[in-house]
Amino acid sequence: MIIDILSGGVRGGTSLLFAGLGETISERAGVINLGTEGAMLVGALGGYAVTFHTGSPWLGVLGGAAAGALLALVHAVLVVSRGANQYASGLTLFFLALGLTALFGVDYVSRQITAFTPVKIPVLGDIPVVGPVLFDHDPLVYAGYVVVPLVAWVMFRTRAGLLLRSAGERADALGVNGYSVVAVRYAAVVSGGALAGIGGAHISIAYANSWFENMIAGRGFIAVSLVIFAMWHPVNVLLGAYLFGAALSLASVLQANGVDVNQFALNAIPFLMTLVVLTVLGKRTLRKAPDELLKVLETAKA
Amino acid sequence: MTGVAVGAPRRTAALTARTGTAARWLAACTAALVIFSAFILANDVDPLSVLGTIWTSVLTEPRQVEQILVRATPFALAALAVVVPGRAGLVNVGGEGQVIVGAVAAAGAGMWVGADAAPAVAVTVMVLAAVVAGGAWAGIAAALRLVGDVNEAVTTVLLNFVALYLMLFLILGSWRDDAAMGQATSPEIGPGAKLPLLGTSGVHVGIVVAVIAALVIWFAFTRTTWGFRLTVVGGNPEAARRAGLPVTVLLLSALVLGGVLAGLAGYVHLAGAEYKLRPTFGANIGYIGFLASWLARHRPLAVLVSAAAVAAIAITGNTLQISAGLPAASVNILMGLVLVAVLGWTSVRKADA
Repeated sequence: MIIDILSGGVRGGTSLLFAGLGETISERAGVINLGTEGAMLVGALGGYAVTFHTGSPWLGVLGGAAAGALLALVHAVLVVSRGANQYASGLTLFFLALGLTALFGVDYVSRQITAFTPVKIPVLGDIPVVGPVLFDHDPLVYAGYVVVPLVAWVMFRTRAGLLLRSAGERADALGVNGYSVVAVRYAAVVSGGALAGIGGAHISIAYANSWFENMIAGRGFIAVSLVIFAMWHPVNVLLGAYLFGAALSLASVLQANGVDVNQFALNAIPFLMTLVVLTVLGKRTLRKAPDELLKVLETAKA
Repeated sequence: MTGVAVGAPRRTAALTARTGTAARWLAACTAALVIFSAFILANDVDPLSVLGTIWTSVLTEPRQVEQILVRATPFALAALAVVVPGRAGLVNVGGEGQVIVGAVAAAGAGMWVGADAAPAVAVTVMVLAAVVAGGAWAGIAAALRLVGDVNEAVTTVLLNFVALYLMLFLILGSWRDDAAMGQATSPEIGPGAKLPLLGTSGVHVGIVVAVIAALVIWFAFTRTTWGFRLTVVGGNPEAARRAGLPVTVLLLSALVLGGVLAGLAGYVHLAGAEYKLRPTFGANIGYIGFLASWLARHRPLAVLVSAAAVAAIAITGNTLQISAGLPAASVNILMGLVLVAVLGWTSVRKADA
């Protein structure tokens, strides 16, 4: 059962991982996006619809990424170009996504798709414990293993990453050196949305293998919180995502093993856990926050 | 909120305030309607006939106008729950959870006093329970803010889900009404606990509560020391601290009062409209209230108008479902688009939060 929970954590955490990485990129540039929940929703539907029509879940991933990126683009326009309040804009986009996916999603409810299937990696998958936990999953889970170091490398070792972090730490310095803060932030928010869209697509075409209204059920909001206590570092995001993935999958694992527990009490666990971790880490995380983001987070310091 | 203008703030042409605002609003709403029509069209439904049906069925029928007012009541209170903390620069995205917790507490209190309790007793106990629960729920976020420096926008949103699962836990568990067929609900509140209707209309007295709340908050903001101090804290907390204002107490009071208002919204929705807790009880009241408060640019009296506007949109959902066969949740698109337009058109001037 422990192995089930750990393996479920990796599988269930993958959507949080992609969304969390996306949010990390966005927040590193100084933009918080509560619309991540919305980006995951449109990503889930976009991924499902494309998979349904093309028969290829890989194209579905692209569809999910495109849908998430489009929604995040609206956030970028409102927040970066129009100076709108970031929370208000994010929540607005969540609503927009709720409506859009309800309207365009009806046709896809209880339709069959050729979803991703678990691919066991030879040799590695046969290692006891580690094998089933890490190496017997759908391809998107493995993609997550690759994307984390990739994002970390881009963020900390490349010029693009330097520009991204400058936009979040000292936006005026970026401007002085002839770079456009606006362009950097657009790129960050939109690519963040694309990653959140992939996260959403993982839920519909690899995890649940179905589409239903409001299927993200708060995972996007968990992803946003995750980024804060991961202290804006991709590797911490990975650990946090799997931890919360485990909490999310706890309900189904326990039920599958015949343990009689109230499902709704279990459903609240990831959210409670997030609150507790945020509180315990509290001030320590904020010291690591990008300066420009702090202006958004600390509107009134108590 | 002060640090909103993250991008390079660009000055819009200083249109003369009144006509400029009206024109922007008109343009914003038209744009939203046009885009919404395009989406409807994409679903092979004629948008003009849908909009026509909405117009005749929602806005010209007295019954529907009453329905709009009934729906607007919790929206207005939930919007005020965002306005008050917003005055102090806090972002309360937790209206949804505070509404649910308020309703759960009210329902629990109603069961505790029993279905045949005297109306005065039932109402008093239920209102108190709702208000305390809503305030306490927001108080959790306030405490986390003050103790752990955790951003309240994030914590309140997480608490929404905890509240939702708490309610589901209860109504699918020990509170489940065995007499009710089908959908799991809590037992209906006693007849004495139901809010009376205004005259011969279908509108319950909750709307009076909402109007009074808006007036009181307007008065508090503009005519009391507390309101002034709150505004100072919202404008520049550091300056407020140096001036010797009790910043901590002010922030705490603003967020808790927000929770109290949201709890009240939960109460009036339960005692005036729903009478029992269903799995869909919250129905986004808190989130829609959040949007309504932004529509009203956080002005307490304008909230009454914006709440009626979003209620009209919400009611439209039923019409959409019945007459065009589109999912009721589709109206969230319209809700979102109006907000996108409003945020996009009006934010640059000055974001007052």
